[in-house]
Amino acid sequence: MLRKIVVTGIGIISAIGNNVEETLVSVYGLKSGIKKLSLFDSIHNDIPVGEISVSHDDLLTLAGITTEQKFYTRTTLLGLIAAQQAVLNAGLSEFSGERTGLISATTVGGMDLNEQYYKSLLVNASFKDYLEVFDSADCAEKIAGYFGIKHNVTTISTACSSSANAVMTGARLIRNNHLDRVLVGGADALTKFTLNGFFALEILSPTGCRPFDQNRNGLTIGEGAAFLVLEAKDVADKERILCEITGFANTNEAFHQTASSADGYGALMAMEKALKVSGLQPSHINYINAHGTGTVVNDLSEGRAIEKLFEHTAPKFSSTKAFTGHTLGAAGAIEAVLSVLSVKNQMVFPNLNFTAPIEGLLLLPQTEVANANIQHVMSNSFGFGGSNTSLIFSKT
Amino acid sequence: MQAYITSISNISPQPTFDLDTFPGEVVGQESKFLACIEPDYRNFINPIQLRRMPRILKMALASSQMCINHSPVASPDGIIVGTGLGCLENLEKFLLSIIEDNEHVLSVLPFINSTHNAVAAQIAMLLKNHSYNTTYCHRGFSFESALTDAMMLLEDNEANHVLVGGIDECTPNFVFLHNYLGYWKDPVDNLQLLQYKTPGTIAGEGSAFFMLSNEPTDNTYAKLQSVSTGFALDNKEVIAQLDLLLQNAGLGITDLDLVIFGMNGDVYFDEIYHQLQNSYFDSSSVYGYYKHLCGDYYTSTAFALWLVSIIIRNQSVPAVVRLNAANRKQIRHVLIYNHIRNKEHSMILVSSKE
Repeated sequence: MLRKIVVTGIGIISAIGNNVEETLVSVYGLKSGIKKLSLFDSIHNDIPVGEISVSHDDLLTLAGITTEQKFYTRTTLLGLIAAQQAVLNAGLSEFSGERTGLISATTVGGMDLNEQYYKSLLVNASFKDYLEVFDSADCAEKIAGYFGIKHNVTTISTACSSSANAVMTGARLIRNNHLDRVLVGGADALTKFTLNGFFALEILSPTGCRPFDQNRNGLTIGEGAAFLVLEAKDVADKERILCEITGFANTNEAFHQTASSADGYGALMAMEKALKVSGLQPSHINYINAHGTGTVVNDLSEGRAIEKLFEHTAPKFSSTKAFTGHTLGAAGAIEAVLSVLSVKNQMVFPNLNFTAPIEGLLLLPQTEVANANIQHVMSNSFGFGGSNTSLIFSKT
Repeated sequence: MQAYITSISNISPQPTFDLDTFPGEVVGQESKFLACIEPDYRNFINPIQLRRMPRILKMALASSQMCINHSPVASPDGIIVGTGLGCLENLEKFLLSIIEDNEHVLSVLPFINSTHNAVAAQIAMLLKNHSYNTTYCHRGFSFESALTDAMMLLEDNEANHVLVGGIDECTPNFVFLHNYLGYWKDPVDNLQLLQYKTPGTIAGEGSAFFMLSNEPTDNTYAKLQSVSTGFALDNKEVIAQLDLLLQNAGLGITDLDLVIFGMNGDVYFDEIYHQLQNSYFDSSSVYGYYKHLCGDYYTSTAFALWLVSIIIRNQSVPAVVRLNAANRKQIRHVLIYNHIRNKEHSMILVSSKE
């Protein structure tokens, strides 16, 4: 028996707000969270980023951690805050038990502290206790510890599609009746490591990203976290159901380690397969929350794939990365939460900074916040290594 | 949910890459760290690519290719990798270029190669394989999550054959830094790992790949019955989880012909294995261990699953892995139980193919 998967709780923290309400206020105000870097000193501090203007101490307070506790990375704190919101939103007083799980995701995990202490650690042991929080699993284990989740705890790391894959894995665990409920999502903090990595790849925008615009000049990295509570429809509180997850697909483009193909066949495969899983036709999709990083290559490739799949009847679509920046391992989950809000609030999100369509493409992204009749939303997340994942969220 | 193990391969600190020889000759040394015996990569990777390729990717591509070569298919329907620390050497390299050279990064290659999913992605690219592709990076659950996901793909009829790997590389800096935390013993003879009765263990690494298939073949090694994980369990919870695992498989404790423990020689962390030997498992079962052969690392259970696959096929438990003198006429059901620092507990149940 394949069970239906519903979303009953969401939590989000990003450059445009510390929770769902603040996020929507920014969206309706067309207010981007992208600004000059102030979180740490860097030779690239003139580059705009999607930074969350909350200090480490204030994040500790937001997460309700009152004891003297130093060993929290920024990634872990962001993840914990979003996870707490999601469980609260689902109205669940506890989140543990044999048939409960946690699938988290990240790209660089505790790199924010790793890059602060690594040099000193090579000389002496003063900061040795930080060594145990640098890796990708720390966020999930802190969340599991907080809720007392004992089983089915794990972390996925597939670059920029990491948390979309966490959503998909969680959905499959419920569909196949291995779990009743699962917390899925991801977190990534801004770090010198990723800032320098994308700078060296020469794909960082000097001005702030302009997804799907003819004059786009690169991506803007951001930070954030989002978690969703997924439940089997047959055990969920009907009053709490926000939407259903009806489709998902993970395919690999197997083209290039860091770039997508010009014709976008990887993106096309993921979208087609997700539709197949859901049993829907392209014409059923009312809104696409695109990957849309703002790099020259991605947006052309994804745009071509959308045109090919939807022919001349492309639905409303936008990239929300001009609001949040590209939050890497958190992006799939952040955009999953926005897709849930699209279904729940019957709205579409605007694509900021758009002025002219990409030459050779007919696609025009949605530029205003608008009410719309939304039955089905597709969310795309593509990553290094050709990791392409598409998810479909549907009105119940 | 179950799967047939239809092909295996393993690059480890032992001569395991050539299947026919193990356990002919076992390598012992005085060290804090057991490094892999690496094969001649030119047989698997073209020389131009080989020159700039990180070591972990060389190990991954050679062992995955070897596994595929002996499997029923030329290209799998899914590629899933578990790696606790991912491409650690390149991560360290890029990190050092940022903090020591004040962000004046000379090469972007270490950044590209530091991505955790580089292993699974490179395998896909080499095979031009567009199927399901993912990577689990969660300490002592990494390989277990990969196995669970693969079994779910088979269960879904999404796949007939899934390539699953457990891979981690060790680096000098990793050994040096974690020495601060008392992770390692002073250099010890790995083959005497359990004799020291001191805290700490010996570091290790390895790259083991498996083809999991939904139907048995003539070459099938064993049947993967179930995989179960538990986070931060106390001893009672470990026992409850073992009970549940056996109950779901329709087995009693005495049905286990072989139990492989993740003992790593740490006098504190090995305590639970001794308790389970004495008061939970049945002493008529053969007891075994493996970390003296490969060292301790997050995906060492991949080495253990490789070992168990060979034991079931050969119907013989090598003396070098035995902990007791018990004997079973047949090796039909085998349990691997491992934990990493009492946080990630892993249980893998494997049976003979019939």
